[in-house]
Amino acid sequence: MEKREIDSQMTQLEKEFGIAENSISYEMRDGILILDGNLDNWQLAVDFCHKAVKIPGVRNLVNHIETPERKRPAPVDLEPYKKKGVLASTDVLIIGGGITGCAAARTLSKYDLKILVVEKESDICEGTTKANNGMVHSGYDSKPGSLKALCNVEGNAMYTQWAKELGFHFNRTGSFVCGFNEEDMKTIQRLYENGAKNKVPGIEVIDGRRAREIEPGLSDEIIGALWTPSAGYAEPYEVALALAENAIDNGAEFMLNTVVLGILREGNQAAGVVTEQGVIEAKVIINAAGLYADEIAEMAGDEFYSIHPRRGTLVIFDKENKGKIHTFAGKAPSNYTKGGGPQETPAGTLLWGPSAKEVSDKEDLGVDQDDLDFVIEKGLELTKNISKDTVITYFSGNRAATYQEDFVIENSKVLQGFIHAAGIQSPGFAAAPAIAKRVEKLFLELWPEAPAKQDFNPIRTHKKSFRECPPEEQREMIQKNPAYGKVICRCETVTEGEILDAIHGKIPARTVDAVKRRTRAGMGRCQSGFCGSRVVEILARELGISPNQVTLKGKGSEILKEPTRQGGEQK
Amino acid sequence: MRKAELVVIGGGPAGMAAAVKARELGIRDIILLERDSHLGGILQQCIHDGFGLHRFGKQLSGCSYAQIFIDEVRKGGIQVECNTMVLDITEEKVIRAANDEKGLMEIQAEVVILAMGCRERTRPQVRILGTRPAGVLTAGAVQRYINMEGWKPGTRAVILGSGDIGLIMARRMTLEGISVEGVYEVMENLGGLRRNKAQCLDDYQIPLHLSTTVVRVHGKRRLEGVTVAKVGADRKPISGTERYIPCDLLVLSVGLIPENELSRKAGIILDAVTKGPVVDDRMMTSIPGIFAAGNVGAVFDLVDYVSQTGEQAAMGAYQYLKEGQKEEAEQEVTAGKNVSFVFPQKFSPGREEKADFYLRVKKTMKNATVRVWCGEKMIYQKKTAFATPPEMVALQVPLAEAQEGPITIDVE
Amino acid sequence: MQKKYICINCPLSCDLTLTDENGVLSVAGNNCKRGEDYAVNEYRNPLRMLTTTVQLEHADTRLLPVISSDMIPKKLLRECLDILYGVSVQAPVQSGEIIYKNILNTGIDILSAKTVKE
Repeated sequence: MEKREIDSQMTQLEKEFGIAENSISYEMRDGILILDGNLDNWQLAVDFCHKAVKIPGVRNLVNHIETPERKRPAPVDLEPYKKKGVLASTDVLIIGGGITGCAAARTLSKYDLKILVVEKESDICEGTTKANNGMVHSGYDSKPGSLKALCNVEGNAMYTQWAKELGFHFNRTGSFVCGFNEEDMKTIQRLYENGAKNKVPGIEVIDGRRAREIEPGLSDEIIGALWTPSAGYAEPYEVALALAENAIDNGAEFMLNTVVLGILREGNQAAGVVTEQGVIEAKVIINAAGLYADEIAEMAGDEFYSIHPRRGTLVIFDKENKGKIHTFAGKAPSNYTKGGGPQETPAGTLLWGPSAKEVSDKEDLGVDQDDLDFVIEKGLELTKNISKDTVITYFSGNRAATYQEDFVIENSKVLQGFIHAAGIQSPGFAAAPAIAKRVEKLFLELWPEAPAKQDFNPIRTHKKSFRECPPEEQREMIQKNPAYGKVICRCETVTEGEILDAIHGKIPARTVDAVKRRTRAGMGRCQSGFCGSRVVEILARELGISPNQVTLKGKGSEILKEPTRQGGEQK
Repeated sequence: MRKAELVVIGGGPAGMAAAVKARELGIRDIILLERDSHLGGILQQCIHDGFGLHRFGKQLSGCSYAQIFIDEVRKGGIQVECNTMVLDITEEKVIRAANDEKGLMEIQAEVVILAMGCRERTRPQVRILGTRPAGVLTAGAVQRYINMEGWKPGTRAVILGSGDIGLIMARRMTLEGISVEGVYEVMENLGGLRRNKAQCLDDYQIPLHLSTTVVRVHGKRRLEGVTVAKVGADRKPISGTERYIPCDLLVLSVGLIPENELSRKAGIILDAVTKGPVVDDRMMTSIPGIFAAGNVGAVFDLVDYVSQTGEQAAMGAYQYLKEGQKEEAEQEVTAGKNVSFVFPQKFSPGREEKADFYLRVKKTMKNATVRVWCGEKMIYQKKTAFATPPEMVALQVPLAEAQEGPITIDVE
Repeated sequence: MQKKYICINCPLSCDLTLTDENGVLSVAGNNCKRGEDYAVNEYRNPLRMLTTTVQLEHADTRLLPVISSDMIPKKLLRECLDILYGVSVQAPVQSGEIIYKNILNTGIDILSAKTVKE
């Protein structure tokens, strides 16, 4: 596109948004539009970028616009960190221990290479993955031909095998998009056509009666629905942990609490990363940094997308609602994200959400009144016989969206040996198996002679949880190890044995939240009122630290401050 | 499968009183199951005084009150299983429990007394917005950390909720060197007993802010502060009244709910208001032979009454063991004017001469009269100088005249 | 002169009004004798029960709850606590056992509120 044409389009946009002419400057490089300037608020900047990315010829967009809420971070001086020396050397370095990074590690662990995953937090899944609603979407709504559409439908189909090999809970429940009026039904028809183009298996439009035959918990007001039987549900952190454990079984390594500050290069070849602890040498780097993927790309000198966090709030209900709804139900969509609806998790907990709200801060995980109202009101409309008084908790997560609103899975064009797996937002969890497959393909382009690992084992062995075992097995478990006889979490029936397994697991649980994700201790109706102090005590004992060093979710989140005047360590 | 005449689930004040009374009545084969490592339940962390005045006529601390019953349990030679969690209980009264010494236990009980107590309401239940940092704890959790484990979970605290535990913890934290910025209460009156405000807040100049609540929590990893706001008559925050308070500990004392995990699993009918099982005047639930005692049935504010319901349940259990389930007409006991609930919710006319009822009023009333009606007939009345929602009213009602219909209790 | 108090003796929490007419004290609003005593004490020398914990050794719990044998002057509470913070007890200990005798010469003992085996 001619510069003049873009100029006029930009001026047009500035007019449309009511901002002074030339207050946003731009640069166009290989189809990448880079915006700079100042705007009054973050939402305005996001809206502006969403419009600008649609200018013909624009492939993706980099947003350097500053607003009062968001300033560009100052560059870090890498020298002092480089001086700390070489920490490790690896063939493949994966940045980010979320679902994308863990899946890449597991998939590449079938090659006889050194694979290392670095994660900045104290546990895997601490970012987008842990606050995902767990939908394995069927893929009816992504734009045909987009990476989202391709990876979603393919990834969804691969979940059956993943669940079998990795032993995580997976229910293929199917999903609805519900219509309350003719207008909704028009949208549903459009979604149907879209889904058919995406080759979503079994997709059909059904009437309200039939929808309620499949899911009796649906509202009687629903007149029709889009039904996709292939949709399912899994716990994102359970899946990511299963992937990570299987990767470890096959030789991959994980380093937690490791923040990447810079990318090293030799000529135009990626050479490693600089972390807070020192240098890690690597031949291939995979950027699976989620919300921070744009910053990692910038470090690599290959910034061609920006991540704008889109916050989603999830609401969890008491298990007393178990069985009231099994199938995901959503409403006809109205913005960039479908937005979630009611769903039952494999553990039998009712989960509603997420909502969708642009936020300026990647770490902004707050919940506002409007988020809560949005999720609860929508859920109440779609279901029946569920009281909002049975909410036991709510929380938010941020989706790692690009302005182009599609995944970015490609080899860097400027830095040899650098793979982007970025912009992985919804349906990223459903698409994860297919994303990993694409990453593998990109990797083989870089390393065609990668040797296969002879003893690669795709099967992850793991113990069933105590509460899921029949009485005879429970009896045996306790006989073998009395710690399974000590129930720590009343609400979810979690034993000390399981907590010890988590603490001494392949990815050791080092925080109260990490224990919670692995065992469900504290996830029930009392929200850790009873088990909280007991979990702190067990963590302190097992890690050989003082109870006031035990954290909720990593450094800076210590639960206890100091001993009382005669308290503290046992005498 | 192990058999037992009576299994009591929960070794707190209700369960211990029930077990002791049952032994006194002559029940031989009793098992008392307790999830913690010691008997006493929540009383073990209640080091403050104010317990047992009705029963023992003196000021005891929670621990010393518990100790009296622990000694009685020992004297009675009652079989106690500590560190034992009951996993489930069936309608046929088969109890599955586990501990790390005896493994999985299955007990066929003839009679069961549920005495699991209650649990605290949590942050999401009062809809506090914002982030989820460390440093937001229930008052009971803070009490356990300070009084039993010897750790301070913060240095500067805000307390939400003026229930008794909140008030007691305001004083306790102050004495332990945690500065208490204030106590915030969403309602327009105090949630706990007024004497606790006098000796816990006023003595230490801790301000109480009524009709004010915590609307938001700040801090990504560790609590950095909270936003409080005044609330209107609808209890919704009034915009423009927000105030930010830096603090590293938010203590929640926002109410208690009966522990109903097992009651629910057994299929026992629960009361929508008390959230505990519906019981008759012998404390028997909807499943014949399963009784409920203490806070598992309805949340009490005095331990004395909790023990009393334990004993009532034991007497009911004894009778049941002796006579089995008799076909008896049941009548409802309903909350009338200004009464939020009455416990127990049922009685059998003609069986007992009198029955104990416990109720809570909906609003504060001075010089009120409690009237018990059986149909059109008033069968009992009692004057009370002062009735307020946090203070449960206990009545012993003669039932001689309640032969016919249901009972309604009013307070005016 | 009149003073208002909330009686702390029992959960009734009576509203007490104390009147001082030239040194002659009268109390109204109480339901029992203890209420009257409370108001008079509160006017002349407020008294409180003292409860806290002391350090416990050789036991599976680290803190021992204690309670005063009777009420002690409110103004001495902090000082008493400072003393008790320095106290350490070895298990076994019986409920009711004297942990600290005649604290600050008040004639009041500090008693264990719990029986703890070794």
